[in-house]
Amino acid sequence: MASRRAVSERDRTPVAKVALRLAEVRKVFGTLEAIKSISVEVPDGEFISLLGPSGCGKSTLLMMIAGLTQPTSGELVLAGSPITGPRNDVGVVFQSPVLLPWRSVIDNVLFPIELLRLPRAQYLDRAMGLLKMTKLEDFADALPRQLSGGMRQRASICRALIHDPNTLLMDEPFSALDAITRDDMAVELLRIWQANRKTVIFVTHSIREAAFLSDRVLVMGRRPATIIDEVRIDLPRPRQIGITEEEGFNKYVRHLRKSIEASHVS
Amino acid sequence: MLAKLKTSAKDSAWPLGMTLLLLAAWEAAVRLMHIRSIVLPPPSEVVEVMVSRYDLLLDHLWPSLYLTILGFALSVVGGIIVAVLITYSEIVRKGFYPMIVVSQVIPKVSIAPLFIVWFGTGTMSSLLLAFLIAFFPMTINAAMGFQSVDEDIDKMARTFMGSRWQIFWKIRLPNALPYIFGGMKISITLAIIGVIVSEFVASQQGIGYLIKLAGGLLDTALMLGAITILSIAGLVLYGLIAAAEKRAVYWQAPIDALETRL
Repeated sequence: MASRRAVSERDRTPVAKVALRLAEVRKVFGTLEAIKSISVEVPDGEFISLLGPSGCGKSTLLMMIAGLTQPTSGELVLAGSPITGPRNDVGVVFQSPVLLPWRSVIDNVLFPIELLRLPRAQYLDRAMGLLKMTKLEDFADALPRQLSGGMRQRASICRALIHDPNTLLMDEPFSALDAITRDDMAVELLRIWQANRKTVIFVTHSIREAAFLSDRVLVMGRRPATIIDEVRIDLPRPRQIGITEEEGFNKYVRHLRKSIEASHVS
Repeated sequence: MLAKLKTSAKDSAWPLGMTLLLLAAWEAAVRLMHIRSIVLPPPSEVVEVMVSRYDLLLDHLWPSLYLTILGFALSVVGGIIVAVLITYSEIVRKGFYPMIVVSQVIPKVSIAPLFIVWFGTGTMSSLLLAFLIAFFPMTINAAMGFQSVDEDIDKMARTFMGSRWQIFWKIRLPNALPYIFGGMKISITLAIIGVIVSEFVASQQGIGYLIKLAGGLLDTALMLGAITILSIAGLVLYGLIAAAEKRAVYWQAPIDALETRL
């Protein structure tokens, strides 16, 4: 069902290159079937959200795309090559900022450069640019504990972008923040995305967040997970937080909520 | 900086004042109750002995100090190496680690005479006993530090293709630093105990030997002087480690650094 939709998607926009392709991905932990079968195609530069209740397997799916776990069966292809492990064209933002407490903000942002054995000097300007973009340039030499929760998560987004990956994977990155910071971060993220135009796979259990950010929202049902609905969000960009009060936006929110509720009943 | 000095002076004023008060009470009690010097000399007499016989005290302090530091250093190096093995080798973790833990039930002081039999009454026995006692908390603490890395940090490093080697040097080791210093602070005091006990049992030099000797001569003032100088040495060693910790583990400083910064 989902795969057929993805194919028709490609037919409609034949110019868009496919960045990520999942074909009948299944994941079983022992006797627990976490993911039944998921097939998706994500065109280059798309902002796509995986929306679903906690424990539905969306984070597991994301970790498979990150190359940290392998699927039981099925195929994951990123930029034309199968995913066999972590790779350097992917950046990951986790639920918590996971900054190293002994490193300054700038050294945290440059951490992937060290791990990937790239020349640090060449990336220093880029790191400062990213910090500037996220309004952290005054805190480059500060330690993580001197930053607020929102600032830490912004730093971790800079870290995920430092090596200029084509794909950004985000695992409920704003769920640990308070509601006001959360809205700010969503606007901020869109601004960064608008400027860089990466393919973003965004995992969330917030309906509003998914609708506000995404080009397309995939709704995942309860375990074992499948994609039960797919909604294209045709709202104009760049989006400001004001659109969340408009009827057009709320129409999408209502639709998504209904999809999720339907999955509860079945 | 000045404010910091002021608060640290304020913080140490209480315990310092209390100590002086207790010493004064001791002095007064001994004098008023006419307690004999053999039983309990007044603090003034202890200080007098420490001044007049400082060369004797120092002569015995140096070998003890030397062995303490050497035994401690060996336990730090050995403890960290074993902790790395525990972290990375399943054989060591499952086979030897329980053995190390169980061996802690043995009061190591009781092994001192055995060491004398094996290694003689020389410095070797003192060194080994100091090492043996100090080794355990060092190992346990370091192993805990290497293994207590946040799961998400490990995940993060792996998504950026971090190798095991990189993860050890850039994550596990700095993560273990606070634990290692915690272990060092315990180990240094234990190393002192190890050296003193072995000097009690059999030795011709060292502060432990001097304490035993003075006891035999009923020279209580000298005994208390030796104990005092040993305590001071222990305090200094502990203080050095605490100072090094403050510099090395800068990210956990409990002060509100943001305020002093901005």
